[in-house]
Amino acid sequence: MRHNDKVNNSAVGLDVGTSRVCLAQRVGDEFQYETQLNAFVTIPFSKMTESVLKKEKVPHTVAGSDIVVHGNESDRFADVLNIETRRTMDKGVLNPAEPEGLGMLRKIVESMVDPVKDRQKLCFTVPAAPLGAEDNLTYHEATLRRILTELGYEVKSVNEGLAVIYSELESSNYTGIGISCGGGLCNVCVAYLSVPVFSFSIPKAGDYIDTSAAAVTGERANRVRIVKEDSFHFNGFFADKLQQVLGVYYDEMIQSLVQGMKQAFSNSRNLPKSSRPLPIVLSGGTALPEGFRDRFAKALSETDLPIASNEIRIADDPLHASAKGALVAALADI
Amino acid sequence: MRLIPRILVERRAATIRDPVERLRYLQSSVVPRERTIYGRTHKLPWLGLALLLLCVLIPRYKESSVKASLPVKTAAHIAPAAAEIDQPDTIPNVWLVDQTRDFETYSNGLRIDDRYVKPNEKRIFYPVYRSGAIDAGQPEWRSEPAGIVYHTTESDQARFTADQNARLKRIAKAVIGVVQQNHSYHFLIDRFGQVFRIVPETDVANHAGYSVWANGNSIYVNLNSSFLGIAFETQTQLGDQASANPAQVHAARILTEMLRAKYRIPQTNCVTHAQVSVNPDNMLIGYHTDWAGNFPFHDIGLSDNYALAPPSIYAFGFGYDPTFVHATGVRLWQGLALAEDQMQTQAAARGMPMSRYRAVLQKTYKEVLAALKAVGAATDKSS
Repeated sequence: MRHNDKVNNSAVGLDVGTSRVCLAQRVGDEFQYETQLNAFVTIPFSKMTESVLKKEKVPHTVAGSDIVVHGNESDRFADVLNIETRRTMDKGVLNPAEPEGLGMLRKIVESMVDPVKDRQKLCFTVPAAPLGAEDNLTYHEATLRRILTELGYEVKSVNEGLAVIYSELESSNYTGIGISCGGGLCNVCVAYLSVPVFSFSIPKAGDYIDTSAAAVTGERANRVRIVKEDSFHFNGFFADKLQQVLGVYYDEMIQSLVQGMKQAFSNSRNLPKSSRPLPIVLSGGTALPEGFRDRFAKALSETDLPIASNEIRIADDPLHASAKGALVAALADI
Repeated sequence: MRLIPRILVERRAATIRDPVERLRYLQSSVVPRERTIYGRTHKLPWLGLALLLLCVLIPRYKESSVKASLPVKTAAHIAPAAAEIDQPDTIPNVWLVDQTRDFETYSNGLRIDDRYVKPNEKRIFYPVYRSGAIDAGQPEWRSEPAGIVYHTTESDQARFTADQNARLKRIAKAVIGVVQQNHSYHFLIDRFGQVFRIVPETDVANHAGYSVWANGNSIYVNLNSSFLGIAFETQTQLGDQASANPAQVHAARILTEMLRAKYRIPQTNCVTHAQVSVNPDNMLIGYHTDWAGNFPFHDIGLSDNYALAPPSIYAFGFGYDPTFVHATGVRLWQGLALAEDQMQTQAAARGMPMSRYRAVLQKTYKEVLAALKAVGAATDKSS
């Protein structure tokens, strides 16, 4: 890998999320991560700007009279220029409304993953089909597969919820429910002894909260996201309107998630015939606010699910759980 | 029959500490039986026995612990200005009350006319150097406005009486046209104290040209990017004679309050063009002399920054000539004397004669200027 020459380069895990792309690799017994915002902004070209970006090693591309800044720094530039970041993905898949999306996603991935010559294993996450909707993931998955294959990797994909299980539910022999609350989607997967039983996604997640709160408060969605990630928490008194509005939409998202689980479990013929209750792990950036776990547990307890749970917890490392799970899957596949 | 191998598989898996090895084991043990485990009928009953044998035969796995660690790499960091600027004394509390397409009003009574705003080049980066450790090639890059430079338009002045209203308005409109065309300032305050936004604060205005200022450890060179420009529609009056009328002073006060509140600008970074302007050709300060000696700092709610030593002298070895001294008032002389004292102390501390130390400082400035030119950040655009 580009950033650490002590890395065990036998396999790579890549969580390609709507909001962030996270790379996981193993160094000895430790997992290490690198994350980039899956977004970009276009700024006017100037020699000075280009020079500074190069000097500061900010990932960017010169495109005619513009400079495209992608990855983590795009957030700050959007803030400085008072514009929204542009997103390569929407609701878990390539953004059909963004003409530059594919090219920029390739750039972001290339800035994190070096080309290899030895068919190194790489496992990347893919979302599950939305609940009650047609599976439209083929193009997204095939495109990512092509990008990564062209970089020289032997590529496999893993369901995002299953990746959470691979990352977090080792203690229950990878039996349980993994939920990844990301930017575009909430992905849910039920697995039994590492085998996925069923999975689904719901389209209400972090972006839904941001855009809904932005519409109500008149703030930019990007700004709402920053406030949400910096300071939002449940179970408190909110002095300002934005925090209150965030709480409202968070609750709506949790309700949708729980109702989605109820519907999916009720319709599934593949539920394990086990009397044991299952552990549930919540991960992803949208699960980060303090009190999220309790809010989710309360909503779940008020819903009659066909599966009992014995534990509901937040992942040890919610932002990296999917990437770690993808890496575990890649390593196990060797 | 079906449950026995599952229990054994689970027991065996539980002894494997390495998550990858455990997953690998489970995959190899369970995946072939996937349909049997989750299916409703025993379609492959023989697999149960095979699995049982497999579990017994598989050797013990080495135990190893796996810890997750934080990311090793952090993205390139460019410090934002607001967090790094030295703490100001008291930042006013002013907020936006209303905003329409043409006007903004603020809680302190400020009203900004946006009808003449004309975007210019975006302010994306500007360099900041560390006092005492100037590295021409390695400045810190910031984005948010760090200060304010006050200017005079030096435009025609009609008599300020009621019977001259039409002429006053006509001149003001002409001035707005000129400064708008040249992106001369961010704000213009006309004779009636009306505040016009000319260039958005997110953009660069061509107001300061070659210039130097410092605050604490931060040295700013060529302030078009780093400082906001506010121009009074007025002409410089020599000595202590007021150049701005009360309406303009009031407007400047509330505009300054708003900008300081919005960008956390310390009052020592609110200075006049004469204080910051330099001429690299002759290495003298005061190339521009607007507000050289009679800027009403106190009336605008600021401390008298004329008393501050010009950093162009003590950091970069600039000098000044009798013309500048003549153009300035007594108040600015205090700052000049302070800068000279400071330079003498620094020279003595380094065991250098003043002339040699000044030459060293001037060389540093030229290196900074050359480095800025190399990245396209050094311009001589100014009003």
